[in-house]
Amino acid sequence: MNTIIAFENVSKTYNLQKQKTFKEFLPALVTRKETKTKLVALSQINFELEKGSSLAIMGRNGSGKSTILKLVAGVTKPNDGRVTVNGRVAPLIELGAGFHPELTGRENVYLNGSILGIKRKQMDKLYKGIVEFAELSDFMDEPIKHYSSGMYMRLAFAVAVAETPDILLVDEILAVGDTKFQQKCLARIKDFKKFGSTIIMVSHSFEQMRQNCQQGLVLTEGKKVFLGEINKALGAYQKLLD
Amino acid sequence: MFEKIKKNTELMWEYRELLWNLAHREISQRYKQSVLGYAWVIINPLIQMIVVSFVFSTILRIPSLGVPYIIFLSVALLPWNLFVSSLSSSAGVLVNNSSLITKIYFPREILVYATIIAKIVDFLYSCIVLVMFLIIYKISIHSSIMWVPLIFLIQMIFTIGLSLIAATFNLFYRDIQYVLNLILMLWMYLTPVMYPVEILPEKYRFVFSLNPMSVIVNAYRQVILGGGPPNLQSLSIALVMSLAIFVVGFYFFKRMEGKFADYV
Repeated sequence: MNTIIAFENVSKTYNLQKQKTFKEFLPALVTRKETKTKLVALSQINFELEKGSSLAIMGRNGSGKSTILKLVAGVTKPNDGRVTVNGRVAPLIELGAGFHPELTGRENVYLNGSILGIKRKQMDKLYKGIVEFAELSDFMDEPIKHYSSGMYMRLAFAVAVAETPDILLVDEILAVGDTKFQQKCLARIKDFKKFGSTIIMVSHSFEQMRQNCQQGLVLTEGKKVFLGEINKALGAYQKLLD
Repeated sequence: MFEKIKKNTELMWEYRELLWNLAHREISQRYKQSVLGYAWVIINPLIQMIVVSFVFSTILRIPSLGVPYIIFLSVALLPWNLFVSSLSSSAGVLVNNSSLITKIYFPREILVYATIIAKIVDFLYSCIVLVMFLIIYKISIHSSIMWVPLIFLIQMIFTIGLSLIAATFNLFYRDIQYVLNLILMLWMYLTPVMYPVEILPEKYRFVFSLNPMSVIVNAYRQVILGGGPPNLQSLSIALVMSLAIFVVGFYFFKRMEGKFADYV
């Protein structure tokens, strides 16, 4: 089969520094205080995703959901085990991470596009669609510090979904924006599924997860509790919450 | 080793648009904020030079190798300012872009390179001040000015190497940038920026050759004002030291890169 993401025995431990500054670190070193605390974020996680499938990850805060997204995005590495990702990942995490308030909407679109790995030429083609999707054609030459937070959000989302990615990571972002725009975003995500994108979603909304995902992974304290069909997963998660 | 650096160069080529866009962001964010905009890069060093030259030339009467002190100073101070601003902004660049680092993968050194490119642009603008002084004082330029690009290249290798190290350390301990500013201030007084090396007795002058920045600053003076080739022996030592710093900085950065998102 067409495996696009594979986690094999993946464990991730964070070595959190107790001292954030050198001024605190030096005395701690001299007095032999502990300088690090270990935090197990994930232990022994196994799963495989096929091309075109969709997975919802659920769990309480701190159960390791975001760590899985980070591992898929390639920004962090596992301490143990292996993560295999075949394809272009588009992270829809914290929209507009690369936006700069002093730049115009247009400049920000190009900047954010290049952060996402979209070449300039390709962007020239996508640009019109982005502006239309964001419904901001009159504001593209304004610095985005003059945008309302809704406009900011719309532009960021439009850039992120401009090109069909192989893998789309969705991290609770759909909680923002008005209902109409939310519907539009969800519709775009559905389109991606039709084109064969793989989707990993982290959410607290049962409704969204049920509508958008076929499979569910339930985590507690970094361990897998349940992996399988979405309705059963939601049931297992509900039990965990009760 | 060469294999790794070659691979990285290819990677940089692949990411050149991001590099350029990030540099562009750095440059335009500064100039869009204030009305005076570009004028600041000129006004700042100009005022700095007037103050320093008043103190060192008028009050302390430091000798300046037969050219007006302000020219003697600016030939060294402008590249020195580039060094300081590159290093101190690189130190903060990873922390300031933490939202990108924790979300999206791209080679992290691009952030450092983009900052330095932005500082080079500032530097080029600030050179207008020097050109202005050269015209006012009718100082003639010799063909030895052809050496400048080579000296500049050595300065950049040295700067990038140190910047990569500073950026990494500051990610783990946020106050490194303050320590760094202190070091840079002391470093300036140990480098013949405001005074000529000749102020020190001959037998102690070798200490300057251990400091690549002082070799670089002297070389600029020699080729722009002195009209002859730089001291090739000390310049080669500076080049070797700069390359060593770059290799160490690069490896250190790449080794720690995988942990950036966990600590930032």
